[in-house]
Formats: sequence, structure tokens, C-alpha cells
Amino acid sequence: MAAIQAEIIEGFLCPMCMKDFGTVTQLQHHFEDAHNAEDKAVFQQLKGFFDKAKKKIMGDKETNPFMEQSVSTAGDSGLGAVISGFDPSWWEPQELGATRSHIDLCKAIRGARVDHFVVETNKLLIRLDKLLAPDAPTEPKRRKAFEMSVVRWVPDKEVPACMTCVRPFGFMTRRHHCRLCGGVICNKCSQFLTHAFAQKLVNPAFAFEGEGFLKRSSSDTSINSLSLMSPEGEQHMRLCKVCRQLLERRDSMAEQRNTKPPIVQLYEKMKMCIEEAESILQQYLPMVDCLSQGETVYSYRDAMILRTKIVKLYEAIDQLSKRILQYGLNLDPPPNIKQLKLQKAIRMYASNFMQDNLMGLQNLPTEEEVKRLQDIRKADIQRKIAAERQAAMDAQERERIQREKDLSAFSSPFDSPSKSDSNPKSLGHRRQESAGSLGRGWKPEGETSNASRIADPMLQQMEIIRGYVRQAKQAQKFDEVAMLEQNLRDLQLEYTRQRQAGNDS
Amino acid sequence: MNVILAVKQYVSKMIEGCGGGMKVLLMDKETTSIVSMVYAQSEILQKEVYLFERIDSSGRETMKHLNCIAFLRPTKENVELLAQELRYPKYGLYFIYFSNVISKQDVKILAEADDQEVVREVQEFYGDYIAVNPHLFSLNIVGCSQSLNWVPAHLSRTVQGLTSVLLSLKKCPMIRYQNSSEMARKLAESVRQVINKEAALFEFRKTDVAPVLMILDRRDDAVTPLLNQWTYQAMVHELLGINNNRISLANVQGITKDLQEVVLSAEHDEFYANNMYMNFGEIGSNIKELMEEFQKKSKSQAKVESIQDMKSFVENYPQFKKMSGAVAKHVTVVGELSRLVGAHTLLEVSETEQEIACSGDHSALLQKIRALVANEKVRQVDMLRLVMLYALRYESHSNNDLSGLKEALRRRGVAEEFRGMVESILDYGGRRGRGSDLFGNQDPVAITKRLLKGLKGVENVYTQHKPLLITTLDQLIKGKLKEAAYPYLGTSQLKDRPQDVIVFMIGGCTYEEALAVHLLNRSTPGVRIVLGGTTVHNSKTFLQEVSMATRGMGERR
Repeated sequence: MAAIQAEIIEGFLCPMCMKDFGTVTQLQHHFEDAHNAEDKAVFQQLKGFFDKAKKKIMGDKETNPFMEQSVSTAGDSGLGAVISGFDPSWWEPQELGATRSHIDLCKAIRGARVDHFVVETNKLLIRLDKLLAPDAPTEPKRRKAFEMSVVRWVPDKEVPACMTCVRPFGFMTRRHHCRLCGGVICNKCSQFLTHAFAQKLVNPAFAFEGEGFLKRSSSDTSINSLSLMSPEGEQHMRLCKVCRQLLERRDSMAEQRNTKPPIVQLYEKMKMCIEEAESILQQYLPMVDCLSQGETVYSYRDAMILRTKIVKLYEAIDQLSKRILQYGLNLDPPPNIKQLKLQKAIRMYASNFMQDNLMGLQNLPTEEEVKRLQDIRKADIQRKIAAERQAAMDAQERERIQREKDLSAFSSPFDSPSKSDSNPKSLGHRRQESAGSLGRGWKPEGETSNASRIADPMLQQMEIIRGYVRQAKQAQKFDEVAMLEQNLRDLQLEYTRQRQAGNDS
Repeated sequence: MNVILAVKQYVSKMIEGCGGGMKVLLMDKETTSIVSMVYAQSEILQKEVYLFERIDSSGRETMKHLNCIAFLRPTKENVELLAQELRYPKYGLYFIYFSNVISKQDVKILAEADDQEVVREVQEFYGDYIAVNPHLFSLNIVGCSQSLNWVPAHLSRTVQGLTSVLLSLKKCPMIRYQNSSEMARKLAESVRQVINKEAALFEFRKTDVAPVLMILDRRDDAVTPLLNQWTYQAMVHELLGINNNRISLANVQGITKDLQEVVLSAEHDEFYANNMYMNFGEIGSNIKELMEEFQKKSKSQAKVESIQDMKSFVENYPQFKKMSGAVAKHVTVVGELSRLVGAHTLLEVSETEQEIACSGDHSALLQKIRALVANEKVRQVDMLRLVMLYALRYESHSNNDLSGLKEALRRRGVAEEFRGMVESILDYGGRRGRGSDLFGNQDPVAITKRLLKGLKGVENVYTQHKPLLITTLDQLIKGKLKEAAYPYLGTSQLKDRPQDVIVFMIGGCTYEEALAVHLLNRSTPGVRIVLGGTTVHNSKTFLQEVSMATRGMGERR
């Protein structure tokens, strides 16, 4: 017995002199005063220990007041975009109005109060753990001595009246001790903690069902204060009201953290489905757009698979929301009105979601249609390419003629001021001009007729375009450059083709 | 400078801050109105807010699986109720937002009640006013004054409302007020006090031109709220009454149950948004268009023969349903309006009203008023308004026959208390109470303008009248507003022309003025004006306002 006591001493103990101090702050002050000279490291260690202990204590609850909350700072993006109304367009987007937070002040005040509960509750739990130890004596006399060793029982003579109801003790009202705090109470004010519930409090993994505290049957058949058994044969422990409240507070908080009512589970499943559907939709919609335009970026099969997935998810959402709507209708007692209202609202949320998305869910074109569309597009593109090429050639031809004229007028077109300052804008314009000549047809020029006069019109043409490329590069019009270079390549291809054709004939 | 958006952003932020999962929105009576003006229920539902509860309702159940967003005004009762709630929390976690400045003491009360550590957030979000349109807000206070001075409770609510508008728009303004009004001066000083006290809150990015808060008094222009209106929004308010965007049609004959109360919100009703500023005549043709479009659609829906038809029906269904609702609503409202106009010869009444307000020759007008007062179809309230307008216009006319008109009212059976209103309106908005030249009698420019107008004729006899506010704002924007009549509070003055203007009308503004501000905003780029009032009046509420303001003054006569 003595050995046990030597092993575990509770309270705010100084690690140096093993003295007990009432509170954390007192202990810290003592340590800083009395052991200041001693190793700083020990102090640091101690501080670390306290921080850890504090964290453990606080972490035991659902909330952690020492952790900064960052939920509220979640991005407010997209708010500016949600401008509705009749005509706000003449005013620029608006940032969120001023705000001010009081949560720090609130936490500081609350923290001071809650610390007290936590410390007290943890004391009780340590004692409860000792009392429940498997090797604790059960024989009444030794049991009492053991219980008194766990917590100091307030001596009878110090307490003339019940600490809860202030009724004076006497012959009719006997004194009883709370096993967790040692306070003296009357029989009426005693609370009885069942053994099973006590187990659960100490060990959260312990499965527990039913009432945590025994109901008092009647004042006459008082539960024997000495025996561990209630008249119903259940093991119990006598407590005062204050201790009961502390334990219950802890239990309800743990309970709330650990359990999820079925409706929440259903809801979370539904939410997951909705989120998944949303993310798939984002992939699916551009696919449909592309396919129905005959593009071949996405495969038909992939789109089909996504579509089936979405439809399946919608079915799941529908089912789940229906289950939520009907949840508990045949239970006894049926859920309250607010709960039903909530269930209805969730169902409405789900059906709104489906209406917004499913109704607008575009059907895929059939496979044949896709093929057909793709063929059309291919043909279209080819036609376009051909037309462009033709136009380009046509334009080049006209330019060549123009240039010949120019040549006769100026010695060198690139040296003349009118040409050297020709900006990319005029280049672009020229291109448009050539595009305008689309459809006039392309007349193959008999190169042999010109060949004698100028070395080769095509080669010359290429030289001109190269000149334009240089100009465009200087003006940093890179899209023009790309276009011109494309022309140049086409021209080169054409040139080689013609050369071959010429050689063949 | 969009008050609807400002409040909406606050509400969105609250909901976001609460994270995922099922939510309940806990409000008080006023914040319920505030939220309902900017968010449709279906819209807020899509953000997983499934329940809406009043903090003072007793029938709330414990539902720990819901997180609670509490949006409340920082009143004593609310703090107490909330502290009680926190001691025995009904919901999982609490995110608390107050619509205005809350004292440290109150935060302490809440913190001490929160032994279960359910509070996650305590913030001030300054959405403490009713946003009616993007440029119009109200505080829903009818009867803000007594014996022509502030009712203290209403003054403090007005100061709270006005400062919250400033905070939500992030404006720390220069304040100008109407010199002739003691109430305006008092309000201006009270607002200044709050700004000084909460200086840290009002530290915003400096703009080149400081915003202006302009505080005016309804008493300067008692004519505007007495006139019949012919734009959709103003007309609905005048004839049916708009209360937080809601219109009661319960008195309409043969109304179906789902149309007994309809919501007219420009935020969520496209037809209304497009037509709220249209004239009655234009609305008639627009609603006909709407009907035709609807019929075309419903006809094409009617013959659902092929699968193709069915598919297109399903695809159009949500839109179709929405449309049929809108059609039924607007057809009913416009139908009721035109019934009222016809039954009470409002066109004739309105024409005379406009003539009294704008021009007209005394003896001819007197004849017209007499004829209308004798007309069986004209409502008593319309007669009363005509006589009140006459009293205001010809207060100092040597031949005015007010007593004759009052006698005529008596003969038609208008109750004594209403006949007394003719005197009350003179106390409220008569010559002695006014600081400016309402009828343009003194200013030679205004007189010539009026003469010219008389020569040219008017475009629309029912909309000749322009509220005084237009002139005031016009001068303000041009930097011509007289310093003596509208002094700055404090020493600093605006050198440039103002850009951001918040105008507040003590005693309530009207939808006619809201329209005027809307048009001013459109026609003057670079200038943004927001209009507010202790309430938005129609003639009925304005008569209440006047009778409350002048209560107990009758004995002096």
C-alpha cells in the first residue's frame, strides 16, 4: 500500500523538492524562485512537460483552444463574381466590408474558466483509475482504508452539515464520503456511479450501454454505503453532485466527438457523391462539346464511361437523399418537427442539385453521329487548308507582279523609306487583302516564260517573304512571323514539287 | 458601393467560415429581414444551410449534428438569449456574428456562458441595415421623430444603421448636413462620434476624393411622398405596399392561395429587375410580351407527341416552371394595379397632384380639387392628399381657400383626425420647417424655367414632378451646393467634386427618389450615389410618419 502511494503522487509537484503546489502558476513561481540557480535545462524540460501535459489535457476534449483556428480565413474568392441585380455593372467589383473579430478575447476568458474544469476532472479520473484497479481490495474494511488512501476523506467532525444541501448531520442524517473528492454529504445528496460507467470514463474503448448513474430507489432503502453492490447487484461508487457533473461533462463531450448519428453518415455519403459528380461533370462537359463539334481530342468511349458514372452517381444521390427524407419516420418516437424539416430541406438540396445539373446534362451524340461529325470536320479542315494555300499562292503571285512593278519604279524596295518604315500593321493588312482574294482561283504560272527574265519567280517570292519575316521580327510581331514562315515553308514545298514535275516532263 | 452586394458578401462569408456539413442559421427578427433581402431561400439552401431559426423562438429542438451560424443584432436581449443558449447548447458548434459593434462586456458574458466550448467564432459583420436595391437601403423605422425631434431609441438605431453602411462599404466620409434641420445636425454629430470612438475600424485605404455622407431631412420636401407614382416599383409600393420585398395580395378578389403573398426581388426576378423603373404603360406592353412568349412556350409544350417533344419539355422544364410562376405573379400584380387605378380614377387624381406640385394656376386648380373631392369614386385618402398638397403649395397665397376645402372634406365624411393632418403637414413640411426653395418661388432661374416649361408643354403629365433631391444632388456633384445651407461637420472640406456619395434622408425616402438616384448614377460616370432613409415611404406610411412627428403639437394651436 505504502509502496503504491510512494509511486504515484498526484498534484502539482516540484520535480526537485517533491513539494505539492496548488496550481500550475504557483508551481512555476516556486520553481523560478527556489530552483533558479539550478540547471536551466531542467527548467526548460519542466516547461516542455507542462506544455505537453496541457496539450494532452486540452486535446482530450473536442476543442483545442490553444490551436489557432484557420477555418474562417478560407478564401473568399468568387464572391466578387456573384454580382446579381439589375444593373450593378457600372460599379466595379467590391471587396468584403469591414469586420472585427472578438474570438481571441472570448477564448482568453473562456480558457481561464475551462482550465479549472479540466484540472479538476483529470484529478478525478486519476483517482477513479486507482479505485478501479484490479488488485484493489474488495473486503469492506480494507476497501475503506484503500479508498481513504486514494483521497483524503474530510474528517467527520469538521463538517457539521451536508456540503450540498446544508442539512445538519445528526442521528437521522448520517455522513457519507464522496469517493472521488473526499467531501462529506448526506445520503440524499449522494450519487451512485456504476462500475461499468466508471470503466468507460477511464478507458474510452470500454463498451458501455445504459445509465451511468443509479437511480435512487427510495430514501428508505438506502444503498449500503459500505458494500460495493447495490441491492440490484450492480457495482457502484458513491459520489457527490459536483464530481458527477464534472464526469458527465467530460463524457458528453467525448461522446459527441466520437459518435455520428446515422443521418450524418447518410448525409456525408451523399455529399461525397455530389462532390464526385461535380468533379466528373467538369471533365465531361468539355468532352461533349468537343465531340459534338467533331473534334477528335477525346475518345467517344471515355466520354461514354464518364456519362455512365455520372448517371450512376445521380442515382446514388437520389437514393441517399430519399433515405434521408424518410429516415426515422417509422421510429418510435418519431423524429421531431425540426428534424423532419431538416430532412426535407436536405432532400430539396439534392433535387435542386440534380435539377440544375442533370436537366442540362447534354446527351452524347451517337457513335455514328460522332463519326459523321468527325468526317465533316475533317473535310472542312481540308477544304480550309486548301483554300488558304490557294489564297496564299494567289496573293504571292499578285505581290510578285506588284513587286515587279515596284522594281521598275524603285531600285530596291527595301531601301526605300516608304518600305523600310512599313510597320507590321501594313503587313497584316496585306495578308487580309490576300485572304480577300480567296476563291478567285489559282492560275499556275508558266515559270518557263519568266525564267529567262528573272531567275525564278518562286525563289524571288521566297526572298521577299524572308524580308517580311525579318521586318516582322524587328517589329516583334511574332504571330505574323509564324504566319509568314508557314507561307515560306508552303512555298518551298510547292517549289520543290514543281521542280520535280518539271524534271519529270 | 453596392449595398445588396455588401450584405450578401457578409452572409456568404459567414456560411463559408462555418465549413462543410449541415448548418442552421440562427437570427433575430431584424436580421431575418436583413438576410431575406439579399438571399433567396433556395439560394442559401444550396450552401447547406437547411434550417432557419429565430433566437427568441421557444420551439427549437436539440440537434447536435448541425453547426450554428448566429447572425444577431448586438442588443442586450440577444446577448442574454445567446448566453442562455450557450449554457445548454442545442447545436454542435457556434459561429457568432453580430451585425454591429459589441461591447467587451457582452463578449465576456458570452465567453463565461460557454463552458462547453462550442463557440468557434465571435465577429462583427456590419450588415445592420435593410438593403433594398444596390443603391438603396432602409432601416424600416416609421415615425422616427416626436414633436419634430428624435425619438432617442430611433436615433441610436439610425446611428448604428448608418455607421454599419459606412463600414460595410468601407467608407470613412466627410459629413454634410442640412442646416435647417436640428435632427440632421444631431444625427451627423452622433455619426461623427461613433467614427471617432471606433477610429481603428474606420481606417480604410485613402481614396483621392473623400466620400461624402449627406444627411437630409424629409421635412424639406414633404411633397414627394404625397404624390401618386407611375413606375412599377413605386406604384406597387404606393398601391399595394412593399414590405421587405414582399407584397400581400390577400385582399385581391379570387386570388389563389399561392399568390396571396408574392416576392418582388430584383435579385431573383428577371422581369421585375428589367421593369421596376418602367412606366405603367410600358409595363402593360412588356407583360403582354411575357404572356405571349409564355403562351408560345406552353403551347409548344402542350403537344407533347414525339419523344423529341418530351425531351425538349424536360430540358426546358425548370425554366418553364420558373417562367410560369413569374407570369402568374406579374399578371396578377399588374392586373390589380390597373383595377385600382381605374376604380379610383387615379389618373385624374395624379394629373391634378402633379399640377399642384409643379405649376398651375391657383383658381383653376382649386376648381379641379373641389371637383375631385366631390367625386364619388375618389378615395378619401386621395382627397386628403390633394388638400394637403394644396396646403403646402399655397400656404402663403393670399386667396387660399384651405378652410373651404377642409369643410368639403368634412362633408364627404373624412374623419376629424385625418382632417387634422392638413395642419400637421404644414407643421411638418410647411414654409417654417423648410430650409430650401421647394417650389422654386424665389429663385429667378427656377421661375423662368417653370415658365418655359409651361410654354413648351410637358411630355408626360403624370411624371412632371421631380423630387427636390435631384436638385440637391446635382448641385452637390457639381460642387455648387451652398455651404451655408449644407455645412460640413468639422473643419475639413472637399476641394474636388465628390465621387462617392451616401445620402441619408431622415424621415424616410421614396422609390421616386430611388429612381432619380438610379438615373443620376447612370448619367454621371465617376459618381456613385447610395440613397438611404429611416424607411422607404409610400403615402400611407408617410402620413403615419407625419402624424407621429407632430403628435402633441396640436394643442399649441
